[in-house]
Amino acid sequence: MAEMRAGPAPYIYVCTRMRVRKSKLLPKEEYLRMLNMSLPEITRSIEELEYKREIDELSASFHGIDLIEIALSWNLAKEYQAIIAITPGTLKAFTQAYLRRWDIQNILTILRGKRQGLKPGKIKEILIPAGELDRVFLDRLLTEDSPDRIVEALRGKKLYTVVAKEFPSAVQTNSLSRMENELYKDFYRNLISDANAMKGGKQFLAYISLDIDITNIKNLFRLRVDGIEEDAREMMIPGGTFSVEELHRLNGITDLNEFIDALMAKVRVKSLLEVLDKLRGEKPIREIEIDLIRVQIEQMEKMSKMNPFSIHPILVYLEKKKYEVFNLRAIARGRESKLPTDRIKGYLVM
Amino acid sequence: MAAEIVAAAVTDIELMKASQVGMKAIGAGLAVGLTGLGTGVAEMAIGSAAVGATAENKDIFGLALLFTVIPETIVIFGLVVALLLLF
Repeated sequence: MAEMRAGPAPYIYVCTRMRVRKSKLLPKEEYLRMLNMSLPEITRSIEELEYKREIDELSASFHGIDLIEIALSWNLAKEYQAIIAITPGTLKAFTQAYLRRWDIQNILTILRGKRQGLKPGKIKEILIPAGELDRVFLDRLLTEDSPDRIVEALRGKKLYTVVAKEFPSAVQTNSLSRMENELYKDFYRNLISDANAMKGGKQFLAYISLDIDITNIKNLFRLRVDGIEEDAREMMIPGGTFSVEELHRLNGITDLNEFIDALMAKVRVKSLLEVLDKLRGEKPIREIEIDLIRVQIEQMEKMSKMNPFSIHPILVYLEKKKYEVFNLRAIARGRESKLPTDRIKGYLVM
Repeated sequence: MAAEIVAAAVTDIELMKASQVGMKAIGAGLAVGLTGLGTGVAEMAIGSAAVGATAENKDIFGLALLFTVIPETIVIFGLVVALLLLF
């Protein structure tokens, strides 16, 4: 349990709220029902749920898929900010640290959008201001003309050091991928140091380790599918069960069975072992990723039951809420593009 | 001499009776006080969970209140013990 200066009451309060909110998330049956709906029906259905306020607010300015996407993004950002407001003590610090990943996503979206010459309004539609950088700050970044000025505007923020260091080479190579890798590595490095520095960080550290492991395993599978001979050390995140050197060695194994055996030799999570064992046959990378996400959520649920008044119940809710929004977006986008139901179903984390 | 012995014995008995009443009062106080503390500790956790749950779903206010007052039984047992001691 995290540090408790005022006793356990605030932790019990916030963890109970998260559990109630988690119970209100959409069940599998609801997604399956939505798969057979048209876009206006999906909008109406979402309006009857927790997204009513956003749909009502935005329906005057947006329509169709844009309305759904922006309403979902706004709701997610609002929900995350509300959670930061109610979490006490170190849990607040951990939650804020975890939500900084949205800052990375937003900054990369803005930089990519600007480089492609998109209008600020169009970029704004896909931003999710759920992290440290709020909507006002992101709006200010969107008004900047050049990417260099955007980088300069980040001065004083946590991301600035990495962005300022990596951006010139990103411009030279015309790719933000290396900067993205470095930003995420720095993000996890900061998470680990925050968890170690604060009292009660042990549970948070367990989550970070799981997250890093799942991300690294996903990256390994992606690299195998791409079939590109790349130095895996560049993309792997240190701090998990596997060291970067081990991951690089794993990436060099060409035989799938041998690769999975090598992975399984070090993994200790039972559900992950079961899933890895099932991946011996050829499977599309999308399905592998969804399977790994499911294992991660399942494992997080287990951790939240073992530590009921820690950061875990909060993190489980944050992750599940994120995937609810992703699922609704996938259904809406899929229905709009008239994709077959089975194909859309394959993108859902249920 | 005999009168003095009788008087001393009477005083001893009175003192014993007085201390018995005092001990009963202390016992009764402890019974209510300690069970009150136990109830408080138990209600702290249940109460915070109940307030958290009610904040998210107002419909469960009645049920949450009921759960919160369940540990009151501990202090009621303490009170019963105290009353038995005193009367």
